[in-house]
Amino acid sequence: MEKGFARVWRKTGTRLTLLYLLLLLVGRMNGEAGVAPPGKPRLINCRSPEKETFTCWWEPGSSGGLPTSYTLFYRKENSDVVYECPDYITAGDNSCFFDKNHTSIWVNYNITVVAQNALGNASSDPMDVDVMNIVQPHHPENVTVTLMQGENLYLQVKWQPPRMADTRSGWITLTYELLVKREEDDEWEEYFAGLQKQYQLFSPHPGETYMVKVRCKPDHGYWSEWSATAYVDVPDYLPRERSVWMLLAVFSAFVFLIFMWVLALKKNRVKHCLLPPVPGPKIKGFDSCLLKMEKSEEIFNGLIGLGFRPPSDSGDLLVDYLEVSESIQSESRHSLSPNGKDQVKDSVADHSGGHLCDVPAILAEKCNKEMEAQGDVQTEESLETVGHLAGNDNHTPNPSAASSNQPCVQESPYHVPEESKQGLDPVTWDNDELSSYRGNAPVHGKSHFNSEYVTERWQGCLQVTKPTEYVEVQKVNQENTLILKPKAEEEMEDFLQLGLRGQDYSKVSELVNDHILLLERGSTTPNTYCGSLGSPVQQQPKQTLCQGPNGYVETFTVQSSSY
Amino acid sequence: MGLGFESHLGCLATDWRPVLGVSPSPPALRPVLLGRLRFPVTPYETSGSEDVLLLSLFVHCHCVDFGDLMDRAVQLSDKVHFLSTSLKSDLDYHLPAVGKKIPHLSLCHTSPLKTPMDKNQVLSLSESELLSLVQSLLLSWTDALLLLSSEASSLPHPSTSTIQVKAKQLRENSDTLGTGLSRLAHKMGSSSSSYIPLRYTENSLGGDDDSRLVNFHFLLSCFRRDSHKIDNFLKILRCRANKQKPDMC
Repeated sequence: MEKGFARVWRKTGTRLTLLYLLLLLVGRMNGEAGVAPPGKPRLINCRSPEKETFTCWWEPGSSGGLPTSYTLFYRKENSDVVYECPDYITAGDNSCFFDKNHTSIWVNYNITVVAQNALGNASSDPMDVDVMNIVQPHHPENVTVTLMQGENLYLQVKWQPPRMADTRSGWITLTYELLVKREEDDEWEEYFAGLQKQYQLFSPHPGETYMVKVRCKPDHGYWSEWSATAYVDVPDYLPRERSVWMLLAVFSAFVFLIFMWVLALKKNRVKHCLLPPVPGPKIKGFDSCLLKMEKSEEIFNGLIGLGFRPPSDSGDLLVDYLEVSESIQSESRHSLSPNGKDQVKDSVADHSGGHLCDVPAILAEKCNKEMEAQGDVQTEESLETVGHLAGNDNHTPNPSAASSNQPCVQESPYHVPEESKQGLDPVTWDNDELSSYRGNAPVHGKSHFNSEYVTERWQGCLQVTKPTEYVEVQKVNQENTLILKPKAEEEMEDFLQLGLRGQDYSKVSELVNDHILLLERGSTTPNTYCGSLGSPVQQQPKQTLCQGPNGYVETFTVQSSSY
Repeated sequence: MGLGFESHLGCLATDWRPVLGVSPSPPALRPVLLGRLRFPVTPYETSGSEDVLLLSLFVHCHCVDFGDLMDRAVQLSDKVHFLSTSLKSDLDYHLPAVGKKIPHLSLCHTSPLKTPMDKNQVLSLSESELLSLVQSLLLSWTDALLLLSSEASSLPHPSTSTIQVKAKQLRENSDTLGTGLSRLAHKMGSSSSSYIPLRYTENSLGGDDDSRLVNFHFLLSCFRRDSHKIDNFLKILRCRANKQKPDMC
């Protein structure tokens, strides 16, 4: 039993020892036990803050578990002498500081770092360094921001170059850059200050805090770190101005409101002032209602019917009355004698009022209103126009011996053709109350009021306002007779239908003796004159004159032929 | 020792003549013309230099401020160095291996010119010495820059056009700076210095492409260093000329 035990015991012990040795061996081979040559270090960079000294840093490799020392060696370009780093301490761990005595510029340094421990050493890759290329200054110092009161408020930022940099002699040239930010802003604003050591920030926002920091850069080197941030509080210096502006704004708004209110009250007057009403056409007899209805016939009729109005007191007036005198034979004379009476006045005056549109109700109302409103105006106008017409003496009188051959004056109030300008021989009636009128020559075409007067002469124009029952004088034959025709026969004669809504028509009161027409004034309705006077030739059978309900003369058959 | 700056501060000689192509007239006749000093206005433009017209009223000695002239010179030299750095980085970007093959810069043709190597040495030099040093450096490089500029077009490099343009600008600006400084020095009356320019005597960069590239790179690196020296010296000179304006340093 015991033998067995011992035997087992011995076996395990051996195995354990073997195992231990094995582990030891492995551990040694791996070096994890801490002994190995050092790993290769790496030179990071070198920097010179003022072009007078410089520092190099390296990164150590693995230490190999043993205390490792690092040595920096360098060679200058024009010699083979190898020097060691003069100062490992000043710049901190793993660094080498070259002081002024050991620093040359415009000279290439070949630098190497060697790591060494008990087991071996390791050398880094060499690095070539020229001081002129590695300049990176320290940050500017004493950055201050102050509020300055000039004409306006502004911020003055001042700083000083890093302590060691010799900018006074020009050995190192530094340019500066600022970052400015308001406390609540997210982004910094960049300002480049060049060579100067102060900077102005104008128009700072009132009531805010500003943060400023500065950095510098040598002419051919690297930017420095940012300096410490400087703060400044800007007081509120604007509120007074602001309140003045607010007061002004409120006041002007108030004034504006009042102005608008007044404007609204006086809207009509303003409207009348700014947009004066456009005067309507003053064509006598022109009926806008008709225009709307697009009854051009009637429009023209109305226009043509404009008058011939005897002028008031013009001595130059031509004859404007048609005198129908009794002349049984063909010698009826139609002499126009200037009566100079405004007997048509009334008829004229009532013209506009007496006329009604056959228009749809809507328009009718409007038309009526307008008519009423303009009635007075139109009256005056029409009177004038009539007078104007009557007063034409431009007309070279037709040298016809027979004054009866003179054509009627045309209807247009503004222009009267030559030939027709001469007044007609007045047709005088026996009645003293003869109204005068001026005959109208037939017009060619409805649209040509002012032109193309028919040279047909006739005396005494007859018109009937009632569209259906006009009697018109067709012509005057040689014997100075009126030849009347009913309107229906117009077409045959290529006659212009005259829309004679005469304002100046006399109203026939009665037919006397079958050959005398009695005219009376006072009727606003155009009259028709029917009947041939003294004309044996003419007959107008089947035509009668009659008075319509409006005072119009309507045709009826004339029976006599004994004229 | 040359004449100190103090005697020249504030007012330079008054007979300015066009820089190029005019020989100095005899002292008896000193016509006064508008002078042209070929300095550029802004440092970092890549376009050619511009003429800066300088006026001087001869009788009353209202001259151009020396400090302003130095400022103009500094702008030029700054631009030259910037161009050389940029050109070198262009070269390195595409063919970095070439940069490692170049010989030591102690083999530059201007090495025999004993230039100061730290700040104290530099600051101990007088203005005229500094100026003549700058001049000799510049003169030493005129031929070499000419070569660089002409060889840039046939360089076996991907970005030949950029290199060509920059090399040309480099040469032009350096020439301008050299000419302007020579006029300045002449007006200052500085004595000839102990610094004798060392011209580059090679006619070509090499036979095969590889050596041409390497030599190009090498020349450029040498020039880059020398241009930094020139720039630094001129900045010191500017600072000294602008004592009343500390913001110019």
